[in-house]
Amino acid sequence: MKGMAGMTQDPLQQTYDAVVVGSGATGGWAAKQLAEAGLKVVLLEAGRAVTPKEFTEHMPAYKLKYRDHSPEVVRTRPVQKQCYACMEYNFEWFVNDLENPYSTPPGKPFTWQRLRILGGRSLVWGRQSYRMSDNDFKAASRDGYGDDWPISYADLAPYYDRVERYVGISGAAEGNEMLPDGQFLPPMKMSCGEVLLRERVKAKFGHTVTIGRTAILTQNHNGRLQCHYCGPCERGCSTFSYFSSPFTTVKDALASGNCMLITNAVVSHVDMDAEPNKARGVTYVDRLTRQVKEVRGKTVILCAQALESTRILLNSSTREYPNGLANSSGALGHYLMDHVVGGGASGRLPDFKTLPNANEPARPNGIYVPRFRNTPSSGKHSRFIRGYGYQGGAGAQFNFSAEGYGASLKKAVKEGDYQIGLGAFGESLARWDNYVEIDRDLKDAWGIPALRISMTHGDNEAALMQDSGAMAAEMLEAAGAKDIHEHASVEMPGMAIHELGTARMGNDPKKSVLTPFNQSHDVKNLFVMDGASFVSSACQNPTLSMMAVTVRACDHLIERFRKSEV
Amino acid sequence: MKRREMLRASVLAGAAAALRPALADAQSGAQNAAQVSELTPAQRGVDASNEFAAPGWKPLFLDEHQNETLIVLSDLIIPATDTPGAKEALVNRYIDLVLAAETPEVQRAFLNSLGYLDGESMRRFKSAFRYLSREDQDDLLHGLAYPRVGGGWAGDRGAVPDPGHGHFEVLKGRIMTAYYSSQIGEKELGWDGAFAHGPYQGCEHPEGDHK
Repeated sequence: MKGMAGMTQDPLQQTYDAVVVGSGATGGWAAKQLAEAGLKVVLLEAGRAVTPKEFTEHMPAYKLKYRDHSPEVVRTRPVQKQCYACMEYNFEWFVNDLENPYSTPPGKPFTWQRLRILGGRSLVWGRQSYRMSDNDFKAASRDGYGDDWPISYADLAPYYDRVERYVGISGAAEGNEMLPDGQFLPPMKMSCGEVLLRERVKAKFGHTVTIGRTAILTQNHNGRLQCHYCGPCERGCSTFSYFSSPFTTVKDALASGNCMLITNAVVSHVDMDAEPNKARGVTYVDRLTRQVKEVRGKTVILCAQALESTRILLNSSTREYPNGLANSSGALGHYLMDHVVGGGASGRLPDFKTLPNANEPARPNGIYVPRFRNTPSSGKHSRFIRGYGYQGGAGAQFNFSAEGYGASLKKAVKEGDYQIGLGAFGESLARWDNYVEIDRDLKDAWGIPALRISMTHGDNEAALMQDSGAMAAEMLEAAGAKDIHEHASVEMPGMAIHELGTARMGNDPKKSVLTPFNQSHDVKNLFVMDGASFVSSACQNPTLSMMAVTVRACDHLIERFRKSEV
Repeated sequence: MKRREMLRASVLAGAAAALRPALADAQSGAQNAAQVSELTPAQRGVDASNEFAAPGWKPLFLDEHQNETLIVLSDLIIPATDTPGAKEALVNRYIDLVLAAETPEVQRAFLNSLGYLDGESMRRFKSAFRYLSREDQDDLLHGLAYPRVGGGWAGDRGAVPDPGHGHFEVLKGRIMTAYYSSQIGEKELGWDGAFAHGPYQGCEHPEGDHK
């Protein structure tokens, strides 16, 4: 525990202005905003602290005993290792699946990838950062499916600006109707194959191919150093060039003198006061000692990750809220979304110079193709609603799939191959029957009831992936690619690691859990400020929008504190 | 100071300055006794790169014949040329370590593939693979190395997959992974040992002239 200069008494004997649960991308922002505004904040993190000394981004694989095939990872992280970022290098950052179970119904697999450590998934995230537009916030009005968000792009735009300026997002402005431009640091460069694809796709289809917009610094920014292009960000960054909360927002919150950090605090539920409809604080289990403790606050703010925040609410049932706290609408747990992945194409550009070089700077970023289906200018597609965007890249690679053996194989590997590929992230429609509930027969290692997750992708998601495979193949062909492999599968939900929904915001308390400012309709001093609040998923990587939504909600809360409304 | 060291020094000096507040956090976090056990060996700085070269090495999973067969095979798949090959990279030792920790199914599949090699060798040359002449080993491998189906080559109608090529690919895959993840393998790919090589330059060609 640390922070809170002058507050020497037992941190659990105080009543804070705000109890923030979770220290990742959104919790870090909540702690920073509120503490810097002068509120007394306690920040609870289920995992331990993290230190730069444990970063391994510069360690070659041959120093690992199993060179990233460790049986310990297989044994303790059978779910987590489905994420590329969970490696022999860093697997202890990810939850131990044996201690953190969840269940799924037969035939409905869901992969839930989580970290419990200061910073949460911001330590290993993909860093792609895209704004949503009113084509997303008002999607229901445009195609008749689902519900609009209760907020518009204009409401969020100033908060996108503020988050981007602080985080540092490198990218190129494109003036695209589906992907609003932001406050960008200089863009990373594109490879020759990518520039060719950009030119050909624009000429033949009129679609945009742009460099990925990424939370990685291309120039020194806010006391952090620019990227040195070593490559594997997910193992940590000794120059803090990619955005992660422990070394930015959480650091600021602690520096304010108004924030107390308690690590190893596994929150089980929200405590309600004797006075009706008022949260008193939260109860947590000390991860190491298993002691049960309570921390009190005038407000409770859940930023624990969409499904964990909802799990806490479902585990906080009272006589008044028998089906989960703040769930008079019945919507809590429902409308779970995760972007659909599995569609795309890959191929080779045979005329390009190959000869890959192991000493070339490794760009930790790719290219992006904004959504071009069901846009104002494209008109409506006949087979599906909404759309998808592509992430991809092109470059010379060592040819590890070269045929044959012997000296000629060795030579072929080094001569390499110029590869090009696009992979789609499709919108996941908000559906009532994709939901989470408490599994009464399953508890985690701290005795906290676990989740049962029921989710499938539907026909629209399958149609999106089908189309994304065909379109990617056409785009690669336009760029002159050969040996094109088209894929149009639907991977299991959870694979995008973009869980959204389950505590949606809305104007109608009968249909939604949260107000447009992420406040519970039912319990006025309870907030959920993370991806749980999303009404629809759009197809853009969601973290930037989650952070903007959080900062907006915090501004509103600070205003209410100033007016003594809390 | 070499350029690489200078780069490293400047990066780390900058990092140290940026790190100071974070390191203070780290020290308070280190109060947790459980913390050390919650670091991966890599995060604790363990360097396992010399373990395979230790004197007195013995296989954990393979028997002596299997191990020797694997050494001979790896030397054929990735031979020493003007650079060291799979044998020098001790790929058999890495493969043995990984297999020892594998499931029985994966272990069995590997031994089946290695056994197939000896089976074909016995059938055609009446001798185990490792004892064949270099010419006969080459002859045998050449028949397995390229996808052939049924009575003809890949692409023929009605053909069935060739099991020999499948076994070859299992063995080759293990050897390739072991070799190119070794220190010798990293050098083979030209890596100079530095972790950063300046900003990514990207395409500088005029429009429409990318190669």
